[in-house]
Amino acid sequence: MVTQSRTNYSYLIGAVLRYVVLGIGLSVTLLPFVYVILSSLKTPSEIIQIPPTLFPKVPTWQNYTTIFNDPKVPLGLFFFNSSFVAIARVGVTLFTSSLAGYIFARYEFGGKGLMFAVIMAQIMIPFQMIMIPLYLILVKLQLIDTLWGLIIPAMIDAFGIFLMRQFIEGIPRELIDAGRMDGASEFQIYRSLILPQLSAPLATLGIFTFMATWNDYLWPLIVITTHERRTLPLLLTWYSSNHGSQPSLTMAASVIVLIPIVLIYILFQRQIVANAATSGFK
Amino acid sequence: MASPGSVRQTQRRFAFRVMTPIMIYLMIFSLLPLIWAVILGFFDYSPARVGGTLFGLGESNPFIGIRNYVDLFSDSQPATVFRKSVSNTFLFTFLILPLNLAITLPLAIIIERSHTRVKGFFRAVYFLPTVTSAVAVALIWGAIYNPQAGLLSEMIRSIGLTPPKAWLSDPQAFVMGIPLAMFALIVAHLWQDFGYNLVIFIAALQGIPQNLRDAARVDGANEQQMFWYVTLPLLQPTMLFVSVMTILSSLQMFILAQVMTRGGPREQTQTILMSIYQNAFRYQNMGWAAAMSFILFGIIMVFTLLQFRFLRSDWEY
Repeated sequence: MVTQSRTNYSYLIGAVLRYVVLGIGLSVTLLPFVYVILSSLKTPSEIIQIPPTLFPKVPTWQNYTTIFNDPKVPLGLFFFNSSFVAIARVGVTLFTSSLAGYIFARYEFGGKGLMFAVIMAQIMIPFQMIMIPLYLILVKLQLIDTLWGLIIPAMIDAFGIFLMRQFIEGIPRELIDAGRMDGASEFQIYRSLILPQLSAPLATLGIFTFMATWNDYLWPLIVITTHERRTLPLLLTWYSSNHGSQPSLTMAASVIVLIPIVLIYILFQRQIVANAATSGFK
Repeated sequence: MASPGSVRQTQRRFAFRVMTPIMIYLMIFSLLPLIWAVILGFFDYSPARVGGTLFGLGESNPFIGIRNYVDLFSDSQPATVFRKSVSNTFLFTFLILPLNLAITLPLAIIIERSHTRVKGFFRAVYFLPTVTSAVAVALIWGAIYNPQAGLLSEMIRSIGLTPPKAWLSDPQAFVMGIPLAMFALIVAHLWQDFGYNLVIFIAALQGIPQNLRDAARVDGANEQQMFWYVTLPLLQPTMLFVSVMTILSSLQMFILAQVMTRGGPREQTQTILMSIYQNAFRYQNMGWAAAMSFILFGIIMVFTLLQFRFLRSDWEY
């Protein structure tokens, strides 16, 4: 039948076109990653050679060993700084968000509506608006140039509280009442009856907080001045401006900074993508 | 057993014990900075001077009324740079928005129609750049844009064309009246950012009930008509949401410009947030920078309120 074959034919063209577009998108997305990895494996002279090469002639770990052996770049220390700040912020955010979310979901008290509105208003205040006074407050608290200065201003996450409240509202009240019957204290109910139910939203919130903290740049740039207290993104810009003539080193340093976050992404990819899609939060 | 009244009392006490520190915390780290920021905008304040007793305001950091705001329109060099940064930021934003939508919406439709297993794979890869550190992204794209040894110039040379003599640093290079460096930043920004809108569009497309499409098909609609008369109207709320989020993030562009071009060449890629940062923390001119950040806050507020307005509009299917 003529129409049938024409449908098949146009369907086939459509399918081919779709995969061509998807393939182009894929190459454009992956090319910079491939490029940084390949560049990091070139010798310092090959990377500035003209005409440039895409694939290293003789792949070498030289750039990585240079960075690892650079006494000015104690990588362990910088990884510790970044991890310490990220883990502390994740821990605190998960605790305050789940506890406050629980209170807003299951308790009645005067001023509740107002308090919730005040917290939600945080979402509307862009960070750039408060960063100057926040800096002055940290000066007063003597937290400038400390890692705590990166943690303490970020202990309450309005979005996290909102997320937890939504989720906890779905947990049956009978569970809480049963806990009260057994004579559990309010905090014990939160700790042993509510918290264990929250693993899914806590994981989501934790992953996003971790990634945001790990990649944070502007606030650390303002707060941190001592080299030894830099987080990885700060180290990266410092390193690149000190090794401008050796881009292969900068590329290797970028790979080192990218590896943990890409690993986390590969592990939690499903959760991350699904939640970005539904909540749209960055 | 405890009476219901005392149970309620215990609960209330617990709620207050949790909420009191949280509210005090927010007063110190959120409400106070907000008010302080507004007040700073009316003072000639520098942390380098001691000033009065209350937050260092007054005396050597005098109240100057709206002069910080008036000075934004003066002929001084930093004021000119700030105004340039405002127009740059708007240019960035309104180039990024249509380009982003033109990439993400068609791509989302294509992915949504693909086989489930393929769909997950493409979505995952396309989202990868959004989780990577913007500083690393800036350095990688900086290398790609290197005029001699960079990937892009070499690709252009390999197809027999002549690349521009510099992507990021030639103040004379324009494309359709827009600085080349700005285009270069926009491409890097789109590369890092498009995954967000893409996954949101895919989710929205998956949310369109199949029976609506079936009904349109029964009525004889072809694929194109289905897109224009069924899919697109139903995507409208998502389009608005995605547009506002894209606008808000573009208005606060900082890292890529800071790391890749430092605002150059000749302030052609200087953004508002860079101006605020420089005036506050490099020149220690915090009163003036606070006035700038209030301007940016106002711009952001307009778009945020637009979003609330639109999202409240009723839509059901």
